[in-house]
Amino acid sequence: MRKSLALVQRELVAYFSSPLAYVVLTAFLFFNGYVFWLITNFLNDPRTQAMAPLKLMFGGTIFFWLFLLFVVPVITMRLLAEERRTGTLEVLLTAPVSEGQVVIAKFIAAFIFYVFLWLPTVVYVIILGSYSSIDPYPVAAGYLGIALLGVLFTAVGLLTSALTRNQIVAAIFAFAVLVVLFSIGLLEQLATGPALKSALGYMNLWDHMDDFSRGLVDTRHVVYDISLAGLFLFLATKALAAKKWR
Amino acid sequence: MIEVEALTKRFVDRDAVSNVSFFVPEGEVLGFLGPNGAGKTTTMRMITGFLPATSGSVRVAGLDLARDPLGVRSRIGYLPENVALYPEMRVEEYLRFRAAIEGVPRKDVAARVDETCERTMIGDVRRQLIGTLSKGYRQRVGLAATLVHKPPVLILDEPTVGLDPRQIVKIRELIVELGRDHTVILSTHILPEVEQVCRRVLIIDDGKLVADGTPEQLRHGFAGAAEVVTQLDAPEGEARAALEKLPGASAVRSAGSGRFHVSVEGGADLRRAVFSLAVEKGWVLLELSQTAPSLEDTFLRLTTRDAAEHEAAEEVANA
Repeated sequence: MRKSLALVQRELVAYFSSPLAYVVLTAFLFFNGYVFWLITNFLNDPRTQAMAPLKLMFGGTIFFWLFLLFVVPVITMRLLAEERRTGTLEVLLTAPVSEGQVVIAKFIAAFIFYVFLWLPTVVYVIILGSYSSIDPYPVAAGYLGIALLGVLFTAVGLLTSALTRNQIVAAIFAFAVLVVLFSIGLLEQLATGPALKSALGYMNLWDHMDDFSRGLVDTRHVVYDISLAGLFLFLATKALAAKKWR
Repeated sequence: MIEVEALTKRFVDRDAVSNVSFFVPEGEVLGFLGPNGAGKTTTMRMITGFLPATSGSVRVAGLDLARDPLGVRSRIGYLPENVALYPEMRVEEYLRFRAAIEGVPRKDVAARVDETCERTMIGDVRRQLIGTLSKGYRQRVGLAATLVHKPPVLILDEPTVGLDPRQIVKIRELIVELGRDHTVILSTHILPEVEQVCRRVLIIDDGKLVADGTPEQLRHGFAGAAEVVTQLDAPEGEARAALEKLPGASAVRSAGSGRFHVSVEGGADLRRAVFSLAVEKGWVLLELSQTAPSLEDTFLRLTTRDAAEHEAAEEVANA
């Protein structure tokens, strides 16, 4: 436990001592601010029908997805690829910690950073809350949805980072996998056959977020995100154990 | 302390290490010699558990690496070849991190870090970022990190590469000192280093163990001919013929201006015979010395790849 804590702590030090973290944080804030402004403008238009404003913030627009698909690979690309490139992986894997422990610690650190990224958006909720009444449950469910997406996406990024010693390759590969994960559910509309349609529907991340932002916590979505993330983390552990190609 | 048995590592098309066995008793400083690419690093990586062996077994402090990898890892302090550190961490912070992942009890960490910093002479850079340190300091920080949990076994892969001569001397002194309370495997291709630091030497070439013994044994057992160098004020041909007839002389090489290198079989001392010869013939003896076989000779004879290069170099020198 203490070893894992030390690993997580080291990883967080690495995050916050790199300029990349601040670039990502700034870009994310700027971007979210812009989306927030767009949404408030849209809602202020008298022609707009009454609706839950935060539903738009949480996955209701393509902006949300675009940025998420980009930003998570940037957060995760360094995690293992850099250790492999510089050789610090050799130190880590000859210390009495298991591959699984390393992977989990890295995952937790990246997830903490992801949460940190979203933290400032609570301000928007407070601002909106001061102008109109906000139902707290859909907000909480929306954040839960964002957290679950973070778990899934971070696991993907960690896996691709375990496969290469080049950060850029890791990021691009993660982006590709995430685009597939995201768009496979969108094929639902094109699917013929009810079985295929419901299978693709199960994997539809947009619908998942839509449910969450309406305050609907569907355990199927939770199970999908968590189990898939578990699979990717397991694969990352295996990739780390197979170091023969270095 | 360390038992390596029939260790083999097969990469796709060749054996990087084949059938290497050796035993290192507790408290020994073992020199692991070999030309570049001979399999030193691969062997060390298999002992530390970083690379899985194709076959063979490793036991450290009675624990089998395959059965209890974490147990073995916690008993080894390993300094990899190109000391990899986290540049964004401060020295002290890094040492505390290493202590934590090695399982040093929380209450002991501060004391261990202090002790190790003092031992490796990095006290003056404790607060500095690792990325800003010079190569010599980084090497010592790496060494400190391998010591911080007081492992009974130290495995050091070329710890003095890239250091200036003063730093090399300091690191060697430190290794000798560490040898008093640790079992050490030290890989290097610097021969004087081995002679100064190690009580026992293994030579590996092309993945195979070719020699095992004390530096003394290796010098005499494998190096073969010692050499007597003499300079005589005498007719070249006659002197040469006379030297060749001396008992024990196996080959005589003329270096010009009456200077000869006489190879001696079996380590006999030919100086008396040469002196008597000079007296008998009335030649003036200008120089007479015996060169002991060096570990370098052994190394060059046993390691095929470099031996070829050595011969080529000698031919060039003789031409």
